[in-house]
This record gives sequence, structure tokens and C-alpha cells, in this order.
Amino acid sequence: MILPEAGDLLTPAMAIDGFRLGCLIDATTGMVLASVQKQDTPAPPTAAAGAADIVSVLTLLNGKLATGEILEDVMITFSDSFFMVRPVGRDTEPRILLLVVADRHRTNLAMAHRSLRDLCASFPA
Amino acid sequence: MSQNSRRTRVRQLAESVWPGRTVNGYANLIAARLRKLADEGSTGMLPVSGHGDGAVFFRDGQVVYAESSRTSPPAPRARDLAALGLVPGEAPGSAGAGGTGAAGTVATRSVSRLGGMLELTELIIDALTELLSSESRYAKFRHAEVAPAGHGRPLAVETLLAEVQRRHEVLRQLAPVVTPDTTVSCESSLSLPSAQVSPAQWALLIRADGGTTPRGLAMHLGRSVFGTTIEVYRLLELGLLVVPGRPPAPADGRPGTGISFIRAVSGGRGSDA
Repeated sequence: MILPEAGDLLTPAMAIDGFRLGCLIDATTGMVLASVQKQDTPAPPTAAAGAADIVSVLTLLNGKLATGEILEDVMITFSDSFFMVRPVGRDTEPRILLLVVADRHRTNLAMAHRSLRDLCASFPA
Repeated sequence: MSQNSRRTRVRQLAESVWPGRTVNGYANLIAARLRKLADEGSTGMLPVSGHGDGAVFFRDGQVVYAESSRTSPPAPRARDLAALGLVPGEAPGSAGAGGTGAAGTVATRSVSRLGGMLELTELIIDALTELLSSESRYAKFRHAEVAPAGHGRPLAVETLLAEVQRRHEVLRQLAPVVTPDTTVSCESSLSLPSAQVSPAQWALLIRADGGTTPRGLAMHLGRSVFGTTIEVYRLLELGLLVVPGRPPAPADGRPGTGISFIRAVSGGRGSDA
């Protein structure tokens, strides 16, 4: 973990039912800054790299569309898990991303979405 | 000691050149040396030379600072470190006055420092990425050499080597399109596509008018060379920058030249570690 101190910021995300993995990722470089996980979790570097790739593609899409919109979040549904990615802070430029992976069978997606939105909004800009 | 005089000294130290070069260059030798210094719990400085000069500073077996003449130096921003709570020896979350000690307060302060921590750490890793290139070689370790003011959090060598290896793999992916030393310039044709860019990308665009390199832009802006190279790649993808002599990216359309972080962590060749 590059910035272990940043792991404190992920603590509230662990309260999400079905939480499996949380990562803070540098959106530009794809570097994992900090991660917290429970036992049966996917490999944090691989999950984080995938999240950074997805946001990179969506940022390129947004750049080409040039509609003036900003990326708010990405919700991905697998057969057994949810992948939720959200830029941290209120900047228009996503410098840091929050990735949370949760067990689909134990997670209320709407509640998890709300928790992540509130968590990210609580971060100072 | 100023930045230039320190680099001059590092160069002098590094001129006691390392013998024997491996098939993969010196990067593996440097990685092995870093691991040994970590195992020994060393404190001091390892001078490195090659394309550029630099040094890696250790404290108790962990890396606290690194610099290269070919990347932006972390030091000029060191005066801001005290405000960020990144002065040496400080416990996490203990900076700043007026803290209540409540978990929420500590977390908020930590978040507010996250950008600063990331900026400093990024520049240190950027320097290491350059120093661990195949052209680099190291000189004798200088025990108890004091790190320059403004060094950051101690970083584990294995963590750093894994990150450097990942970055080298990303740079290998980008190499067919752009490298840190590829000249790029603004696309000035009338058919310039409409596009939305971030403030960081805009700062690159307005400075790339007369032709420059990602490394030049990064050094000018005090940013990471690695991060700037990726942003330049994205601007090439948007068709806002071009590599002189090559068609713009949208018309190019070569398969397999895209950047993939996931491929970098799962399919790297692993020659650095």
C-alpha cells in the first residue's frame, strides 16, 4: 500500500453490507493508494487496475462527446458481486477514485450507492 | 545543499561505476541492491547514474526520498510539507492544531492531506521509475547520508518495486504511440475535433504549441513524468495533440496500442524485480 494513512478513509465503506474490498486509486496513473479487504476478496491490484481502465475509457468517451458533463459513478453488476467506482471529492477532474466491491447477495445496491455518494461528498474538495 | 550541488555530488559518487551488466541491463541489479538495503535496515543514500543522475534515500530500511535529474524534483514543494503534516517522524493524523481527536476529525484531516501526500509520493515514485531503468547503475551506498528536507512517508521497497514494474509495463504499452521523450505538438488543423479536457490536460495543451515532450511538460509544470506521459497519450487519443510526422490518433486506428492498467498488473514481463 503506497499511502497506508489513506486506509482510514475507507473505514466507513466497510460498514456497507456485503463489503468485500475497498480501494483508493490514482485515476491518472492507476496506482493503488490504499486498500481494505475482507477474506474472500478479489486481488486488489487487479480490481483497482480494472476500475482505473474503466474510468479511463469513460473519461475518453466524455472527452469526445464534449457535452460538459462529469462522471459521477460507475456501477457494474456481476453474477455474485457489485463493483462500484466513484471519483473522490468534488473536483471536475477525477484525481482519486474510490472502488468498492460488495457481495451482490448481501448488498442493497441503492443503500450502498447512497453510502458511497455520502462518503465521497464528505471528502473536502 | 542546493538541488544542483546535490546532483553534482551524486554524479561524482556515481562515477565509481558499477561493474558487470546483466542481460536486462542494470535494473535488476539496482532492485537487488535496494532489497538488500531494506533487509539490512539501512539509513543513507544510494547514488544512481545512467541517462540521468539521482539518488535513493533510505531510513531504517525504507525509502523516504528519491530524485532524478530527469524527473520533477519533490524538494521545491517541501516547504508545504509541514502544513500537510508530512514532516519526518510525525505520526499519522497528528498534524494541525485544533483537532478534537475524534475519528471523523482525523479522517477529514487525512483526506485534506491526501492530495498533498499523493503529489509528493508520486514524484518520488516517478524518480524511482526513471532510476530503475535498464541504463542505470548504482554506486557505493553512503551510510547515514541525510535525506534532503521534505522527504515523505517511509515506503517499503517491495511495494515500490512492484509499482515501478507496473509503470515500466505501462510505458512499454505506450511506447509505440508515445514515450516520455517523444515530441508532440498541438493539432493546428481546421478540422480540430471538439473535445472536453480536464484542467490538467488543458495546462498541457497550451504549453505544447511549439512542440515539446511529455518529460519537458512534466518538468515545466513540476508534475510526474509518468502521469504526464499518460495524459499526453489521452490527448493524442482525443486528436488534440499529434506526434509530428504521424497521422492524428483518430485516423491512425492501429490495434493493440491502447493503454491497459489491468494488462500491466497481470501480463507484465517482470524484468525489473
